[in-house]
Amino acid sequence: MNKTLSDWKAISLFVGPALILYLVILFVPIVSSLGLSMQEGSPITGFKYVGFANYERLIHDSQMWKALWFGTRFALFVSAGQIILGTLLALLYHFYLKHSSVLVRTLIFLPVVLPTVAVAQMFSKMFAIAPQYGLVNGLLDNLGMQSYIQPWLGQADTAFWIICIMEIWKAMGFYAILIFTGLVGIPEETIEAGRIDGAQGWNLTRFIVLPQLTPIMVASLIFSFNGTLKVFDTIVALTNGGPGTATTPLSILMYKTSFVYSEYGYGSTLALTLTLQCLVVSLLIYWRNRREGN
Amino acid sequence: MKHARLTALSTLLIVSAFSAAEAQKKTVVFLSGQNRDVGYTKIISMLSDDYAKKNATFSYQHQAQLTDLTQRLQLLANSGTLPTLFSINEPSLLAQLATKGDAADLESYFRDLGIYSKLNPVAVQINKKLTGGKLLGLPLELNIEGIWYNKKIFADNGLKEPKTWDEMMAAADKLKARNIQPFSASGDQKWPLTRLIGGYAARKYGADVMDRVKDGSLKLTDAGFVEAARAVQEMGKKGYFGLGVNTIDYDTAVDTFLQGKAAMLYMGSWVLRDLNDKTRNKIGEASVGFFNIPAVKGGKGTINDWSINTGLTVGVNAKQLDKATGDWMKHVFSNYANLAMSDLGMLTGFKVTKTPKTIPALTKMTQTKLNAAKNGYLWWEGLFSPKATAISQDNVQPLITGDLSPEEYMQQLQNALK
Amino acid sequence: MIGQDPLKSTLKKKAPHNPAAANLQKTLLGIPATLLIVLIVVSCIYPVIWIFMSSFKGADEFLKPMWTLPQSLHLENYTRAWTEGNMGKYVINSALVVFPSIAVMILLGTGAAFGLEVMRWKLSRTVNVLFLIGIMVPIQIVILPLFNMYYQAHLLDTRFALILTYVAFGLPLVVFFLSGYFQSFPREIVEAAVVDGASIYQVFFKIALPMVQNAIVTVALVQFFFLWNDLLVSLTFTTNPEMRTVQSGLLAFTGQYGQREWGPTFASISMAVAPTVLIYLFLNRMVMKGMAAGAVKG
Repeated sequence: MNKTLSDWKAISLFVGPALILYLVILFVPIVSSLGLSMQEGSPITGFKYVGFANYERLIHDSQMWKALWFGTRFALFVSAGQIILGTLLALLYHFYLKHSSVLVRTLIFLPVVLPTVAVAQMFSKMFAIAPQYGLVNGLLDNLGMQSYIQPWLGQADTAFWIICIMEIWKAMGFYAILIFTGLVGIPEETIEAGRIDGAQGWNLTRFIVLPQLTPIMVASLIFSFNGTLKVFDTIVALTNGGPGTATTPLSILMYKTSFVYSEYGYGSTLALTLTLQCLVVSLLIYWRNRREGN
Repeated sequence: MKHARLTALSTLLIVSAFSAAEAQKKTVVFLSGQNRDVGYTKIISMLSDDYAKKNATFSYQHQAQLTDLTQRLQLLANSGTLPTLFSINEPSLLAQLATKGDAADLESYFRDLGIYSKLNPVAVQINKKLTGGKLLGLPLELNIEGIWYNKKIFADNGLKEPKTWDEMMAAADKLKARNIQPFSASGDQKWPLTRLIGGYAARKYGADVMDRVKDGSLKLTDAGFVEAARAVQEMGKKGYFGLGVNTIDYDTAVDTFLQGKAAMLYMGSWVLRDLNDKTRNKIGEASVGFFNIPAVKGGKGTINDWSINTGLTVGVNAKQLDKATGDWMKHVFSNYANLAMSDLGMLTGFKVTKTPKTIPALTKMTQTKLNAAKNGYLWWEGLFSPKATAISQDNVQPLITGDLSPEEYMQQLQNALK
Repeated sequence: MIGQDPLKSTLKKKAPHNPAAANLQKTLLGIPATLLIVLIVVSCIYPVIWIFMSSFKGADEFLKPMWTLPQSLHLENYTRAWTEGNMGKYVINSALVVFPSIAVMILLGTGAAFGLEVMRWKLSRTVNVLFLIGIMVPIQIVILPLFNMYYQAHLLDTRFALILTYVAFGLPLVVFFLSGYFQSFPREIVEAAVVDGASIYQVFFKIALPMVQNAIVTVALVQFFFLWNDLLVSLTFTTNPEMRTVQSGLLAFTGQYGQREWGPTFASISMAVAPTVLIYLFLNRMVMKGMAAGAVKG
């Protein structure tokens, strides 16, 4: 038994090609950009070795802390929203809509397919105030709630929530399908057994269904956190980090530092910070789950 | 995958087999920040295609890089593969490329080619300011900036072209009281707002204001600059820019003016192509007027100093200055100014030798103003580093909504200058 | 594109259809749930309708409220997108890099996930974490070293460079997701098969693969949308206009100072979205079939 499952030849055949490709194309560049974090400058201005100066600067960079905080808040709200809504939708598909859920599933998945730029365009039109009221302000106007009319995307606090809503809305169909795939994989007998034991509704979901979904939920959670911590396209297209720098996460700050300020070395340092943030969060989820599993 | 690798391999073989025969062939590549069929890229493409027809060994390639231009340049510079011509958003980076020997000094190069006399001296002078006193960028445009206004709205409300900032604010106040939006501006693009701060500062301290900031004899935290930021903040707070100015994009800002929904628009003369476009200009050519940023109380600058620039910077690769490139350059830049004027009615940094019979009235008016300009000054961020530019523009949004004080705005900017 | 009537009729039809599962339905849901679903579905199809409607509008109609219907059909938006925008060629170009990438990525990724989760070896967890790091790295930062590598290998401006990059960046995700599925993979089945004398390769192809086929189709589908909508990689590693993909082609309508020609842009977006919607509708059927098959076996 163990001999077959620990056959080195087979293991290297299964894992080898993927690992080599991954190491060469992705891992080597990662390591070499780590080297850049000890330098100052850009390919245009030329590089200079500066030791740990970039790391020192990082600690004192108020813009970095602001971006880190924004990104963390954003990731918490959006990941929670995506997973909770995704799970609810998946449960709806499986237990309520049953076999006729194909169409609904297909339609709710549509936003995932659309180019981010187009969706962002639509959102900015929906929340527009000028040259004429968008959908939301128009509605408020018609309802006689003129005092609530505002430049939604032109203010730091409202812009934050709109970006959150768009990101959740865009990806909920994706997580719903993912979790639904897991739900379908739960053997009917398990659920039947639960029913016979008297579990119903919420209890059935809580004690029978959800535990079975753990691996896929953990995968979704890690994936969602990584996507939202690294969020880029959505914000660039919707607010471009504004107004001012109020909606700038670490990913955009890193991009701007490298490619707009032409400080590629410090940009690499910021990228490393973002990678570490993702790594810490993911490993926390990953190991917690492993421990519980064992 | 296998197939792709095979293709790559066979391409390599073919290339090496033919390389002997291809040695004489020259390809000039222009990596540009705009599409092939607009403005100066259109003129250069037309002339180059024309040249390629007569020279079998020459070919021209236009590559449009509409986003992430700086990123692309960094990649190319790092691997030593910059194209022959390249747009570059930050003039200061062009100066750095020149120090590294990657960007050509065009003054000596054009003299060697014998086409230096084709350049317009005013354009050369203003262009050199950008890149530390050397001519490194091609002056492909010559733009003058100021305030375009709706003559009809002004007449209907008994207003005249303002000569002082206070008059302009009084006019805005009157318009606002009558429910007419005084200014249209794209706060989404940010620079249309910082240009107003720069204009005010130029009136306060004179046309050489930003040179003095650069050499350190003026500090952005000085009272005059804070006053400039406050003046523009006031415009925002009083609602002169209309609703949600920070979400207004470039097209919307221009269209708001062209549809008669706002009385004034600060913009460069590149907007002429929209003003001359009858499908977009609903207020009519005759109704468009143009005046300079007005004078401010106790200021040294006058309304004869204009904000002038030569458009987005385009540099030339110093490592490709061979005979083939030189011959092509001679052809293109001997004919550039005339074709730009006859085909697009566009003003450039090269001398026009043949004036076409019909020039749109607004283009003519702009040209007259440009010719009469006594002093030229650069835009607010012209001499800033890329980082200071970004900070200046990012912070102008909270400035005009009142979320950032004028003092704080200037303080942060001064800190970024170092 | 997709009318509302078929949706309504399905919803109506379905309600009385499942008396067997009424238990859970009644306690959890009811009319509010149906309303909620309708609301969500409407919010999800509206953008498609909006894009499609906007693709017929003239330039000045974009200043009117977004929900207004086009005043007349500006079909020239489509001809301009087709001729100036070259959309036909870009769709083919995208297909030529996206499909090979997905095939290679799935093959290598599934193998690796199987080797990591099902087989037993010391370093498996370390390698797993190594792959996990790949998900966390912001792609923008490895662009510069990668560009230099491709430049030295003469791979710039080739489809091969795009495929290599897509596969390498997609692998961590595929490995990660399929590991999740293989984790809950019943060991007894593998053990039984091995005892019966099956080789490990037979276990992989005959037992493991069929059992995770739903997951594979889902992951492939997700990767398809990522790659189809990718802009950064294709823009960075190719400059040749002959190789432009759909998304970099869409950029061609942006002007120098931020002006945009919205009509032709929306026509192009419609054309760019159409294949993805069609493929999704088509593949979705396959997923369903796969799931049904899985259910029968289970």
